[in-house]
Amino acid sequence: MLASGHVVVLQEGPMTVATIGCVVLLAGFVLGSLYKAVRYVRMPMHVRWELYPVAHEKGKVSYGGSYFEELDWWTKPRETSLVGEVKTIAEEVFTLKAVREHNPKLWLPSLLFHYGLYLLFLLGAALLLGGVADGLGVVGLGWLGGGKVLSLWGVVALGLATLGCCLLLLRRLGDPTLRNASSPADFLHLWWLLAVFALSWANWLVVDREYTVAAGFVKGLLRLQVGGSVPALFVAQVLLLGAFLAYLPWSHMTHMFAKYFTWHSVRWDDAPNIAGEAYREKALKLLMLPVSWSAPHIKGDGKKTWLDVVQERGES
Amino acid sequence: MKPEPLVPPVKVRDIAKPTPALSPLDLQKIVPLPPPYDQIDPQTLWKELTAERRQEIDASLDGVSALSLKRPEDPQEEERLLKGFVEGLRKLLSVENNWTFLQPLQLTLDHCTHCQTCADACPIFVMSGRNEIYRPTYRADVLRRLVARYGNGGNPIKSALTGPIELNWETLARLAELSYRCTLCRRCAQACPIGVDNGLVTHELRKLFSQELGIAATECHANGSMLQLRVGSSTGMTPAVVRDNIEFIDEEMSEKVGFTVKTPFDKVGADVLLLHNAGEILAWPENPGAFAVILEAAGISWTMSSDLVAYDAINYGLWYDDVQFARVALEHIKVAKKLKVKKIVIGECGHAHKALTVIADRLLLGEDNIPRESALTFLEGIVNSGVLKLDPSRNDFPVTLHDPCNIVRAMGIVEPQRRILRRIAPRFREMTPHGVENYCCGGGSGFAIMSPNNFANWRMLVSGRIKMQQILEAFKDELDPAIPKYLCTPCSNCKGQFRDLLRAYGAWERSRILYGGLVELVVNAMADVPPGFLEWEFH
Ligand code: SF4
Ligand code: SF4
Repeated sequence: MLASGHVVVLQEGPMTVATIGCVVLLAGFVLGSLYKAVRYVRMPMHVRWELYPVAHEKGKVSYGGSYFEELDWWTKPRETSLVGEVKTIAEEVFTLKAVREHNPKLWLPSLLFHYGLYLLFLLGAALLLGGVADGLGVVGLGWLGGGKVLSLWGVVALGLATLGCCLLLLRRLGDPTLRNASSPADFLHLWWLLAVFALSWANWLVVDREYTVAAGFVKGLLRLQVGGSVPALFVAQVLLLGAFLAYLPWSHMTHMFAKYFTWHSVRWDDAPNIAGEAYREKALKLLMLPVSWSAPHIKGDGKKTWLDVVQERGES
Repeated sequence: MKPEPLVPPVKVRDIAKPTPALSPLDLQKIVPLPPPYDQIDPQTLWKELTAERRQEIDASLDGVSALSLKRPEDPQEEERLLKGFVEGLRKLLSVENNWTFLQPLQLTLDHCTHCQTCADACPIFVMSGRNEIYRPTYRADVLRRLVARYGNGGNPIKSALTGPIELNWETLARLAELSYRCTLCRRCAQACPIGVDNGLVTHELRKLFSQELGIAATECHANGSMLQLRVGSSTGMTPAVVRDNIEFIDEEMSEKVGFTVKTPFDKVGADVLLLHNAGEILAWPENPGAFAVILEAAGISWTMSSDLVAYDAINYGLWYDDVQFARVALEHIKVAKKLKVKKIVIGECGHAHKALTVIADRLLLGEDNIPRESALTFLEGIVNSGVLKLDPSRNDFPVTLHDPCNIVRAMGIVEPQRRILRRIAPRFREMTPHGVENYCCGGGSGFAIMSPNNFANWRMLVSGRIKMQQILEAFKDELDPAIPKYLCTPCSNCKGQFRDLLRAYGAWERSRILYGGLVELVVNAMADVPPGFLEWEFH
């Protein structure tokens, strides 16, 4: 059923396909993301590999200093600030600081693209919240100021994301060095997103200018409602976006989550092993792991442990 | 500088092409130095390998050879190496064999978006005239593709998405060489918005080659960590020789400063165990000498060790091999425990700082975790205590400071050395950029001790060139050779690079630029010491 009253140029598609497809693909996204996150979390303690500036160093972050600058540092309280980390991450997320400073040509396209994605994410979240609220019988999408606001929001978000995506694609295709240093996946991601955006525009223009179909679909989805129908164009959009989300955890695009690990758990992980106790259990377990590196100075046979090989002298 | 693509640009997959050189160094594209050093034709610093030598060794990456790899003698040998490499990939990604770096490595392999934000942060890539194979992502992408195609049985979908690659002798030999075209300075990692670390990739590749195939730079392995573990020091010095040399240095110092300087050895219960890079004792004796003068004058309870390995702070394993790294670190700690010292102070040696203070940290359990401190922090403590009478007018000449990557970017020790300099060197000026954004000297990760074939020429022309540019910029208004200038470089490895670099560019004759440590400047400013501690002689 078309709610917007526009001229119908598309056949209606079965809601069932969209709902089931969406559930399966979203489940893929959630499970894939969980799998990836759990995989990183479960990786063993690594040796320290911090890189300065470390954002939580209180009073020293402006020039990249550390507690090692203090005489007898192990006798002094360590002063860290979570605010420093949040500030640095926020600056990176909202201003793409590193790209602005080191790669200015890519900054604007990247900024437009990311802001578009942030706004689209918020739009999705709003639809979801609206669906939940409606389901609870509290209030519908009215709290968002109605369809006109959503429509404007959608057009701005889609506009920024599409423009950013096109500019990124043009740069990747047009700059021979950037093109050469790209992988097939880099192009796939941009083309795929562009296709999703194109379908979204088509939906917005033809089917669902005020996101009422989308809101209805989300509401149905939350109730796992099958049967009924939605426009085929909408089904196509949902499935393409869902497929993209399901693929996302297997791609480098998880960098949005990975930053927690790359920054917080590696680059800023400067926690000292004071008195040698903090990491005792973990380290002892790891030192008992078998080594199988085969070079003559190690001759790991899969039985000798790390503790064994580090006490040997090895052959040349 | 305008990006100037090579025509046709070298592709990642080209690494497997059986050509004489994948991407030779193009001397025309080397970035020029400021005047009058722009007059030095790069050609005069370059050495082409002879056809004969190129028959003997593989220089098919860029016409340079750091490893002197020989082609396999027969297909069986080649097969063995390639199989070994694939095995190495598996081990590199396994918890058992690489728990030390697995999480950072996997995060790096999984998340590069190829945005190239890191490219211009790399001095090697930029100064080479943007040679594609030195692009920070190049070697990382070779590894990514190899992992996708061959790692743990291979994954065809992942491989298709990552891009094509072939594993053959060319790939293996070039990748091994390529892991010695990066100084592990990690400037690229600092620039990456995602936290991907291409420097780490270099480190891990070197490990794979060393730990699985026994391929490593001779200077780092056979004549480095292996020699240190066997004889006591990579310099070849035995305990008796070290003691003799230090005794001689003490005599010299006593004569120069006018009071008795005596380095204590193996003093149980001393507050401080001082670990020097043993290279200092041979090449720059004034550095351990100046340390001894300061500690004597400050009345510090300290000692050196004459135990094997412990009289040499170096730990080359840091650059290429986790096992060798741990072996040496444990020896250092064993001796500190034996001497019951309160802390270990690491002398002016950057990689020794990072090795024992940071990388070894979580492996040192219980009483093995003896506190370790940087000599720069320790020195600032002495200077601040007011025990030394300092006269800055003794250092009334232009001074600039080099930031060793391992002390600054990897440990965040930025200000102590500067606060000392501001106090004792009235004409101190910074390089641009400096601090945690510094450029590597070009000798990092072992390069300073490596000069086989034409590798030293490459070091001068490519990896060290940006530093040369920075030094000249720092002294730009005073390049006149009538004005003596001091490049303060509190790291033994960096000093080795500066000796070669300043010599190659004739900077001592042309501009009278001397290099040396921080402690020498401190002693030079000591009012209780006769003037002229610094000898303005280039060595
Ligand atoms: S390493 Fe980081 S900065 Fe460099 S290309 Fe990859 S994502 Fe971009
Ligand atoms: S670690 Fe330094 S030398 Fe190596 S690729 Fe990164 S910036 Fe270049």
